[in-house]
Amino acid sequence: MSDEKFLSIPLRRRSVLGSIAAAGATVALSPLGAARAFAQEPEKPAEIIVRAWGGSWVDSLKAGVSDSFTELTGIAIRHDLTEDNEIQPKIWAAVAQNRMPPIHVNWDTTTNATKSALRGVTEDLSDLPNLKDTTDLAKPVGLDGYPIVNTYGYVYVLAYRPSAFPDGPPTSWKDLLDPKLKGRIALYNDGIGFHFPAQVAGGGTLEDIPGNMQPAWDFIAKVKQQQPLLGEDPDFTTWFQKGEIDAACTISTNVREAKKNGIELDWVVPEEGAKFDTDGLWIPKGLPENELYWAKQYINHALTKQAQQVWLDGLGLPGVVPGLTPPEDLVNDPAYPTTEEDFKHLIRISSKVQVENESVWFSKFKEIMQG
Amino acid sequence: MKPPRSAYPWHWRVLDVLERVVETAWPRRFTKGLPHAMLVPVVLLVAILIAGLVEMLDSSFRVLDTNTFLMSDFYTLDNYRRALTENFFQSVATRSFIASFIVTAITLVVAVPYAYLMVRTQSPALRKFLLVALFFPFFIGEVVRAYGWLIILGNQGLVNEFLGLFGLSSVRLLYNYSAVIFGLVQYMLPFAVLMIAPALTAIPEELEAAANSLGANWIRTFRHVVLPLARPGLVAGGLVVMTLSLTNFAIPAMLGGGSQDFMSNVIYDQFFRTSDQGLGSALSILLVIAGSILVGIIFRLFGTGSLAIKGARK
Repeated sequence: MSDEKFLSIPLRRRSVLGSIAAAGATVALSPLGAARAFAQEPEKPAEIIVRAWGGSWVDSLKAGVSDSFTELTGIAIRHDLTEDNEIQPKIWAAVAQNRMPPIHVNWDTTTNATKSALRGVTEDLSDLPNLKDTTDLAKPVGLDGYPIVNTYGYVYVLAYRPSAFPDGPPTSWKDLLDPKLKGRIALYNDGIGFHFPAQVAGGGTLEDIPGNMQPAWDFIAKVKQQQPLLGEDPDFTTWFQKGEIDAACTISTNVREAKKNGIELDWVVPEEGAKFDTDGLWIPKGLPENELYWAKQYINHALTKQAQQVWLDGLGLPGVVPGLTPPEDLVNDPAYPTTEEDFKHLIRISSKVQVENESVWFSKFKEIMQG
Repeated sequence: MKPPRSAYPWHWRVLDVLERVVETAWPRRFTKGLPHAMLVPVVLLVAILIAGLVEMLDSSFRVLDTNTFLMSDFYTLDNYRRALTENFFQSVATRSFIASFIVTAITLVVAVPYAYLMVRTQSPALRKFLLVALFFPFFIGEVVRAYGWLIILGNQGLVNEFLGLFGLSSVRLLYNYSAVIFGLVQYMLPFAVLMIAPALTAIPEELEAAANSLGANWIRTFRHVVLPLARPGLVAGGLVVMTLSLTNFAIPAMLGGGSQDFMSNVIYDQFFRTSDQGLGSALSILLVIAGSILVGIIFRLFGTGSLAIKGARK
């Protein structure tokens, strides 16, 4: 790289960042103002590619964020439904080879995104103007700055078929050990969402994570005797629908969506607690500056109250902007935590601890389940 | 005197030009090298495969640093140590190999009569039916076929509905080892039949007639004449089924209910779930080595079958 080119990059970036601040402030005030500000900004790309999960997840993102962003800026949003785990190595390879990454914005689990941040392939998002209006939940725990912006939280609840629990809903994860549920329960195939409550249900403490997870493994070994099915989000819906299972540890959004579609389902946060985690948005390194600018604008837009309200109404999840109105069916629901009291019943472990130990936990879980 | 135009038409002139172009591009003295030149695409493909394996070999000696999610700069045998000593990998490898043996045995047992009937039937309609039934599954992807079994064998599937007609409660037919074996056998059957049928076709019908005339019943003829002569097809079919089963991904994932993983599923998890490219590479290399050794042993014991190479043991 020539000296001239080398020197020119920070200058351009500073000017771009300055304009982001100006545009963001306008966005926070009014959509019309934002439209005027955007007119002064760097060249608009024909489209911005946002990786997303399919089904109701992408529908909600489109309704809440993408459509309104297009309306404001005229930039089309293309949703790439490549699995989050599969887009990751593609992005990593693109950045390592100084190629343009395959997407502009990655909608990702915070745990997965943290891996990318630790690898250094994420753009810093600290300069997004709308961050100042967000709660602490938006900030990734254990990382410097904002390589990711968390956009909402979610809970791995105990979903159940009410007719299979005639004496009332389950109250504990230990209820999964009921002999009548043998072969009728499901967990994620890597145990995600279940490790931490299992630690408590197994008689251990959260403070022992990650040093001593033996209580979790002991409890999971007991659950193994119940011959659980192991799958991913779409599997749970199918299994409930086809009458294969009566209970599962899964994200409340999936249960709510299945319930909306007429499947007999409900959920609880058991007495041991349930894992609370976050998803977020991040931008891979290697984008041309104008595209980086507009990708940042997309995330900034996703942090506005209007966008969050529509997006997260669809998902039934609590956002990172204060003052959002919970969907009617989720008012006072433990899986829609909004107060400090609500969070006391939930288990939150830092993403950094999770990514550092994930491989070992997954292997251990699989060793038990596949043995 | 100039020859009349009709004596040397224009398209001959075009051919002359083309001939000269070919002569310039590929002189006659190169003719002997033509067969070798035709190998270039294959060599390129194999070279790409080998380059990938070399890259993977390199990764397999590097460990993942979970503080940076980068592979180590130094080489270590740690991934191989984990792959060879941890219970989880051992149990999955054992399951994969045992399944591939079971699937191969069952598939061959089912495929031989199918292929025999297809080859020997005197009814053109039956032959056509068997051929269509054989090729039809090729038009449907593996995943769709596995999904079909979910519909048929599920708790609310056709089989359980049928059982319900007799007042029987539903039975869990899916998400276990048997379901995976069943799905693999159904998937592999066409491959086996296609490998065995040519070997059966090559057996003269007169040999069977001769055995009959000497007093052998059909079973003895089949056992002592047909099967030994069909061995090349059986070996080739067995090899194809065994290697495809050993490395299968979709059927264990879909019909196993998440608790019947094969090696490919575990390798996928390392690459895409835990981002541990080093361990995933080590497992891949070990699978390639183990599969190659298995094929080598079969070649040694039974010959190369209809995959025969000149000079190889028959």
